[in-house]
Amino acid sequence: MKDLTCEELLHYLSDFIDNQLEEALSEPARHHLATCQNCRVVLDTTQKTIDLVGETIRRSIPAGRRQQLFNDLEQTFLNSEKM
Amino acid sequence: MSYHDDDQLLADLRKRDPAAFRWVFEAYADKIYRLALSLLENETEADGVVQDTFVKLIEHLDRFEGRSKIGTWLYRVAHNLCYDRLRVRQRDEHWLASNQPDNGDGENIIPATFVDWTNTPDLLVDEQEIQAILVDLIQSLPLKLRAVLLLRDVEGVSTAECAAALNISASSAKVRLHRARLQLREKLSLIMADTLKPEGKTR
Repeated sequence: MKDLTCEELLHYLSDFIDNQLEEALSEPARHHLATCQNCRVVLDTTQKTIDLVGETIRRSIPAGRRQQLFNDLEQTFLNSEKM
Repeated sequence: MSYHDDDQLLADLRKRDPAAFRWVFEAYADKIYRLALSLLENETEADGVVQDTFVKLIEHLDRFEGRSKIGTWLYRVAHNLCYDRLRVRQRDEHWLASNQPDNGDGENIIPATFVDWTNTPDLLVDEQEIQAILVDLIQSLPLKLRAVLLLRDVEGVSTAECAAALNISASSAKVRLHRARLQLREKLSLIMADTLKPEGKTR
C-alpha cells in the first residue's frame, strides 16, 4: 500500500470528507490519518467547521416578510398567462 | 403534495396550479435567500433577488426547455442576479475600491494551526459567539468560494448541480469548495485556539 504524505492527504481531504475518494486511495488515507496527529486534527477541525457553517447559515427569510413575499409572488403566478 | 419529478412539477406550474407554486416556493425560497445573502450581505437585496428569481421563473414557465433541473435553473438565475446587483454597486462612484468583494479564485492554504478545538465544552466562547465569528469569516471569503461553499455545504447540492448552476466545471467546483473549507478552517482555528480554556490547552 502506498504511503501518503501530509501534502497528498491534504490535497484529497475534501474528497475524503465527502466520501468521494477513489477506492485505491481510501485505505492509504485512513492509514495516514491513523498515524499522523496533525492531519487528524486538520480533518476533525475541517469537518467541525463544515458542520458549524451548516448550523450558522441555515436561516430562513424572516417570517412576516416570507408570507408577504409568497402572497405577492403567488398573485403574479396566478395572473400570468397560460400559453 | 411533493414533487420528485421535474416534468410533473413543470406541467403543473404551466397549468398555474397553486399547489405546485407553493411547493417550488417552499423548496427554494430560503435557499435562494441564503445564497443571495451570502453574496450581497444585505437582507433587502437578498429579498429582492428571491422576488426577481421567482418572477423570472413565472415569465419563463412556458418556454422552459427542461434541459436543466428546475432547482439548478433557479440557482443559476439567482446567482446571475446577484452578480448583476454587484456590478451595479461597482458603478456607484461612491463605492470605494476597498469595498469591492474579492472575486478571485482563492488560494491554497497550507494548514499551520493544529489545535484541536472540536470539543466545544473546552471553549470559552458559546455557540452564539462562534456563529457570529463564522458569519464574519464566511463574508471574508472570495465570492467565488462563498457561492460554492453555500451550495455544497449548506444547501447540500451535488458537485454536478453546483457546477451547472454556477456555469463552471466540476473540477473547479471541487477546487473552490476545498479552498473555501480550508481557508475557513484555518481562520477559525486561529480564533478558536485563543478561546480554549487553560485545561483544554494542556491536552
